Formats: sequence, structure tokens, C-alpha cells
Amino acid sequence: MRRIGRTDLPRAQREALRRATVVEWISLGYIAIAITLVGTVMGGSQAMRTAWIEDMLSTVPQIAFLVALLVIRRAPTRKHPYGYHRAMGVGHLVAGVALLAVGALLAFEAVSGLLRQEHPSIGTVELFGQTVWLGWLMVGTMLLILVPPIVLGRIKQRLARQLHSKLLLADADMSRADWTTHVGSIVGVLGVGMGIWWLDGAAAAFISAGILRDGARNTRAAILDLMDMRATTVDQSEPEPLIERIDATLRRKPWVRRAASRVRDEGHVFHVQAFVVPRRSKVRVEDVDRAVQSVVDLDWRVQDVAIAIVSELPSPESDGGRSLRGGGERASG
Amino acid sequence: MVLSRARAPRAVVAAAAAAVLLGGCALLERIPADPDGTLETVSGGVLEAGASLSDPHVILEDDGSLRGDEVALVESFADEIDAEVDWTVGGEEALVGSLEAGELDLVVGGITDATPWADRAAVTRPHDEVVRPDGSTDRFVVLLPMGENALLAALERHIDGGLP
Repeated sequence: MRRIGRTDLPRAQREALRRATVVEWISLGYIAIAITLVGTVMGGSQAMRTAWIEDMLSTVPQIAFLVALLVIRRAPTRKHPYGYHRAMGVGHLVAGVALLAVGALLAFEAVSGLLRQEHPSIGTVELFGQTVWLGWLMVGTMLLILVPPIVLGRIKQRLARQLHSKLLLADADMSRADWTTHVGSIVGVLGVGMGIWWLDGAAAAFISAGILRDGARNTRAAILDLMDMRATTVDQSEPEPLIERIDATLRRKPWVRRAASRVRDEGHVFHVQAFVVPRRSKVRVEDVDRAVQSVVDLDWRVQDVAIAIVSELPSPESDGGRSLRGGGERASG
Repeated sequence: MVLSRARAPRAVVAAAAAAVLLGGCALLERIPADPDGTLETVSGGVLEAGASLSDPHVILEDDGSLRGDEVALVESFADEIDAEVDWTVGGEEALVGSLEAGELDLVVGGITDATPWADRAAVTRPHDEVVRPDGSTDRFVVLLPMGENALLAALERHIDGGLP
């Protein structure tokens, strides 16, 4: 894929995107195997059931990413003048809400099972003429599928930063935290094996709490973006430094007296709306065109720059604090 | 001394490893365990068995004794763990209630793996399969108290050992 909407991707990003797609397909293949394995040995353990559903759920961000990739590559049309970038945000929101809902359901099941003092039953299987406790197979399976998500998660995390993809980063975080799910279910099963029946429900509650946390974090991140929060770095920890650079670039133009911009994150790329107060009342069209070009040249993520020539800035040039939640710093004029 | 200092940790590690190994083996034998210790109580004592009448698995003779393939299964399992069987004959719901209350250790009576009691009792693997005239298969199981996994494993091992 060479383009996202209107932007030609630089070589590094093109390569990162290709690899991200491959890694997501590998993740899906791995999870298909994991789901099959865990499904065959699941038995009566609530912790195993919860881990199993967690594995299935972890495909939601991956599928959302792959589907959104198909959508966002389309160029803007008359009907969709801003392009299709928001598909990423929509996918992110769907993934977050799905996690929240299923996490809540599983947490309820785990806690109510504990309250009703349900003792989980795990029987045996006949394997090569031997009677083997199913719990051992569960522990073995969980150990087997413990490591790959950690490796895949690390790769995805790096690619997500290169691609400025919050959906991919969320997916990477989930993959990296996957081992707690698997270790949790091992603890639950071994607890049952030692006759500590409540350890299974406790492990299930712990795992579902993890799913809930993932859901809450993803939903929050997706909503913040869809609400057109000022663009941030990909982990949403601080404002995107590019905003300052855009303003500085515009202010350096000799014909510009003051400049400030609104930058919103469309999923992978930014839409920039810049307000410029010129020194004189007459502005040359070529100067404006050149200013647009110099902003676009700043970063591959900059897409769709609109410069408005105004007599007064609609918002303060600087918002003072760097807090993400500082309200009203960009009141519309 | 340098030498003994180097050696001491190695000895400690070896001892710790041996302890973990021994402890692990002792622990492994006890997995799975019963939260309520049913298998331990029953072994060498009395096995409280519930039976719901179901020809040909559980049949009540005129003299009040029971016979049938599931009666034989329970008797042979009791033999293996050195227990006497105390039979309680009743309807399935009453028997499953007693199973939950801990008054019975197992229930038989033509119950299949499609049993609706699966939420309230542990179900063993099938000990017998019968193909019905319509082509479907009945897989006959034994009901046990929920979560008594040592008992479950012992009975399933007995089933795997082959039936008379």
C-alpha cells in the first residue's frame, strides 16, 4: 500500500505498514491455533474459559486494523471530502466497547461463581492408554502459547510508533499483557488441582479485570480522538510536538505576523487548520501556497492543510499549560 | 575461603533443587485433590451410592437387592478403593439434591452425557455406549459431587481400566 488517502507514504512508513499487516495476519493465525488448543482442553475451569474468551477477543483490534486499512487507503471523494481516515478511530471504538462489555460479563460470572461457591470439576482424559488429569494438559497448553504474544506485541509496538497508529498500539499493549492471562489461568487450574477450589474463580476474576481495563483504556482513547481532541503523540501521553513546529514554521514566514493552528488526529494522519494574521492587508496567493507546502513538507502525517487569513487569531497563540485536559484553550472565534 | 565460598551456594542450590523435586513429586501425587476430601473419606470406608431405577443399568430385584451393569461398575470401583457400598434408591432429582448436600458420593441410573444435571453435578467420561434404533448414541455416565476431582479422576481411571 503506497498511499493513505491523499498522502504518498514515505518509504519507511510504507515498509512499516506492510510489516504491520503481515504481523497482524501472523497474530490472527497464532490466535486461531491457541483458541483451538485451549478449546480442546478447556474442561470445567472458569479461569480457562475466561482466558479462552480473552484470546478470542484479542482478535477484535487486529481485525479492526486490517479492515480499517482497506478503508483508509481510499482517496477523499466529493461525498467524503475529509477522506476515510476515521475508519481507524471507529474500529478502535468498536474494539474498546467490545472489550468492556465482555470483560464486564466475565467478571460478573467469575464473582457470582465464587459467591455461589461453585467447585470447578476437572476430570481426566485417556491419552495413549494412560489416564491423564486434564489440568496438566491445560497447564501445558497455556505454557505453550505463553511466549508468542509477547514477541508479536513488541514488534507491533515499534511499528505502531512508526505508523502513528493508536489502534495498532492498543493491540500491541494487549498482546504484551496477554501472558498475565495465561499465567492467571495456570494458577487457577493448579489451585483446583490442589483442592483450592476458589483459586479458579479468583483467577477468572483477575483475568476479566484485565479485559475490563483494556476495554476502558481503548474506549477512552478512541473517544478522545473522535471528539477531535488536539493531536497527541501516539501513546496519548502528551501533545503532538508537530503542532508547535507547524506554528513556528508559519511564524517564520516574513509576511506572517501571528499564526496558530488547530490540529486533529484522523487516525494515522493529521488535518491542519491554520490561522494566520498577515503583516499587511494584502497577501500574495503564491505566499499562501508556499506556506501550505512548507507545512505539508514537515511530516508525512500532515495531510489536508487549510490556511485561513484572518485579522485576529480565533484562539490564543499558546495555550499556556501542556495539560491534555486543559479546557477551552482553543475556543472557536 | 574462596573455594568454600564458591562451593556453598552450589550446595545450597543443589539442596533446594532436590527439595523442590521431592516436594514436587509428593505434590504431584496429590493432584488432583478433593476440596472436601471425599475419596479419602470413602477409601476403606463406606461409599454412599445413589441409584435411580433404569433397566438394564439399575434393576431392583424382588429380594430388595440391586443388579445391572452400573451397579456392577459401582461395586467394582468400591472394591478397588476398599469400600462398602451403601445404596440409596430414589428419583434423580432427590438423588442429585443429596449429592449436592454431600449425603451421597455418586449417582447412577441410566444417566447419559446429555444430562440436564451437568450444572449441579460433575459428570464422568462415558463408561458405556449404546447405539439406539434411530442411530443416535447414548453415552452412559456417573454423576459425582461438583469439584471432587480426586474422586472423579479415580473413577475415570477405573473406567479406563476396563469393565467386566
